[in-house]
Amino acid sequence: MKKGIFSGEKWKYLFYTVSHPNDGFYWIRHQDRGSVSIAVLLVILYGVCFSMNRIYASFVVNDIEPRTVNSIAELAGVAILFLVLCVGNWSVTCLMDGEGRFKDIVIAIGYSMLPVIVATTAATLISQVVAENEEAFYTILIGIGTAYTVIMMLIGIMQIHNYTLGKTLITLFLTVIAVLIIIFLALLVINFITQVYSFLRSIYIELIFRI
Amino acid sequence: MKKIICCLLLLCLLPAAALANDTLPYDCYNYDYWNNILYTPAPYVPDGSLGGAGLMWEGSPLGAFRSPQDLCVSPDGKIYLADTGNNRIIVIDGGLKTVLQVIDHFEPDGAVQTFASPTGVAVSQNRQLYVADSQNHRIVVLELDGTFVKYVQNPQSEVLDEGYIFTPLKVSVDYADRVYCVAQNMFQGIMVFTAEGDFTGFFGTISVKISLWEKFWRKFSTKEERSKQQLFIPTEFTGIDVDEEGFVYASNKDTDGMQAVRRLNPKGQDVIRKGLKENLGGDLVFGTVGNYSGPSQIVDVVYRDHGIYSLLDARRGRVFTYDHEGNLLYIFGGIGTQEGTFRTPAAIEQLGSRLLVLDAQQGNVNIFSETEYGRLINQAVSLRYNGDEALAVPLWSEVLRLDENNELANAGIGKAYLSAGDNEKAMTYLRRGMNRAYYSVAFKRWRNEALRGNISWFLTTLIVLIALTVVIRRVVLPRRAARRKERGHAA
Repeated sequence: MKKGIFSGEKWKYLFYTVSHPNDGFYWIRHQDRGSVSIAVLLVILYGVCFSMNRIYASFVVNDIEPRTVNSIAELAGVAILFLVLCVGNWSVTCLMDGEGRFKDIVIAIGYSMLPVIVATTAATLISQVVAENEEAFYTILIGIGTAYTVIMMLIGIMQIHNYTLGKTLITLFLTVIAVLIIIFLALLVINFITQVYSFLRSIYIELIFRI
Repeated sequence: MKKIICCLLLLCLLPAAALANDTLPYDCYNYDYWNNILYTPAPYVPDGSLGGAGLMWEGSPLGAFRSPQDLCVSPDGKIYLADTGNNRIIVIDGGLKTVLQVIDHFEPDGAVQTFASPTGVAVSQNRQLYVADSQNHRIVVLELDGTFVKYVQNPQSEVLDEGYIFTPLKVSVDYADRVYCVAQNMFQGIMVFTAEGDFTGFFGTISVKISLWEKFWRKFSTKEERSKQQLFIPTEFTGIDVDEEGFVYASNKDTDGMQAVRRLNPKGQDVIRKGLKENLGGDLVFGTVGNYSGPSQIVDVVYRDHGIYSLLDARRGRVFTYDHEGNLLYIFGGIGTQEGTFRTPAAIEQLGSRLLVLDAQQGNVNIFSETEYGRLINQAVSLRYNGDEALAVPLWSEVLRLDENNELANAGIGKAYLSAGDNEKAMTYLRRGMNRAYYSVAFKRWRNEALRGNISWFLTTLIVLIALTVVIRRVVLPRRAARRKERGHAA
């Protein structure tokens, strides 16, 4: 049987999940109908769409300086944010009786990206034909896509952990805090490593000069 | 062979040398749509300076200017300079070579009166000289030959504090001889006097801005705390000029760097037009530490013609020039001791096509002459101001040849193409000029044309496609299904 992104079954199930988030995410948790590789692919796709939107959206709606767009950095940013979000949610839900595995969280967040990917791409295309005073089409499209993604993410988290809505919201809030803590610790560690590195480097330079 | 190469190299160098900025003691730049600094060709280049030491008056040297604070160009092109430290007004001819007159005293009623720190000078359209005689607390009005006309002093009004001492710093006069005066420690606005010398009120008062955050903290502080806090005082005006329609251009201090100049209508309301960035405060990008940092400190404004005005910045010694729509046209100037740079710039004036900047500390007048680049922009903007935008196109394309980043030039050409009906070219140029509104107009027209031109084959394809689908659905698919069924039965 074909696995991951090569399995037609899994792709079909992705679209089923988008149209039936409640059922979809439930069976992803309980029957392994989802695919981590598809989820990761969707996140990468979102990173690409995001950059493409910033570069190629038409002049009328686009107020971004092309020179500031760095696709690689944006892709990495999206990927890191995704990873931190998953880890943060996993660490919070582990302590709060969440039933979802890390894999399920990755799939839930990854699959939820589909609406915003579609909307961003469509908006980028539509922007090519809108003029001033018609930007509403563009903004509304992106708005709807984002809203759908947020709702899907909420339902996804709720279903895979078997939470009530209230508890989901609380865990999401705690997830945000966890994400901030993770970022803080990461910065701290990076800072320490830099200091250790510069310390070792100065010892090395000192030795080279003396010997 | 060598000779030919040398000649070619020289040929390459010649036009470049004419425009090169590296011999200038300052940078010339402008901001693009995203506030990036783009260096431009020089709009104005230093063209000598004028110090008191080199001038002769009645056979003897005039002596250096001491802390001169203001200068003014009269309608007939003479320069009136307030030599503040020497308590005299010096009149220089338009050629900037000879002293025509030195006014250091006048005789109101037989007795001789002198100036004490005259900080401001203005010549009215009715050919009278107004001197802000600051330490004598009066404005002196003289005929151009030095004959006394009247004083403007002792403003009387209920709105003034008891014991208020009037110390005029800068003065300007409109066509009806109304006197506008920037006075020391007067935060309520510009003081206005009638032609008869009566104080009529304040003008162009700048309202205090208190942020929500400051309001919030004031709510929670006690009276005692509040008394120790910094007072919220409106900013002061620094310089004034009056345009030909009687509108007053007044520069002011602005700690936010957002609006350092106002255009006041006869009612004292600010009617200045701001550009896309809503900023009339000089530099848009500046450092935050060191003595070269902070928003520009505009000390004077000069109204030039056709809606163009220039601001003088004392912090970094720049001259900012705007058009009537509030677009920054060009920036030049700098702090320094070389010729063409200033130490404490105090006043700016226009003399024909030249600009004069008075440096109080060095005690000289720096003269700047227009380059081709500056002239092209000035002319093109003037033409637009007069509504002759089509005539400005050749000028704008010349500007683009010298500075291809110039957004105004791109937009100007784009607008011309738009009115000529060439939508595609208009879109290209308007996009380079970052002009969304006009780009949109061009784009809409282009879109309509494209639709009109292509609608027939688009619809044809659509109908053919629909027909094909119908045929496939109704004819091909049922037949195939029937065949499959037959085969199924056979098996």
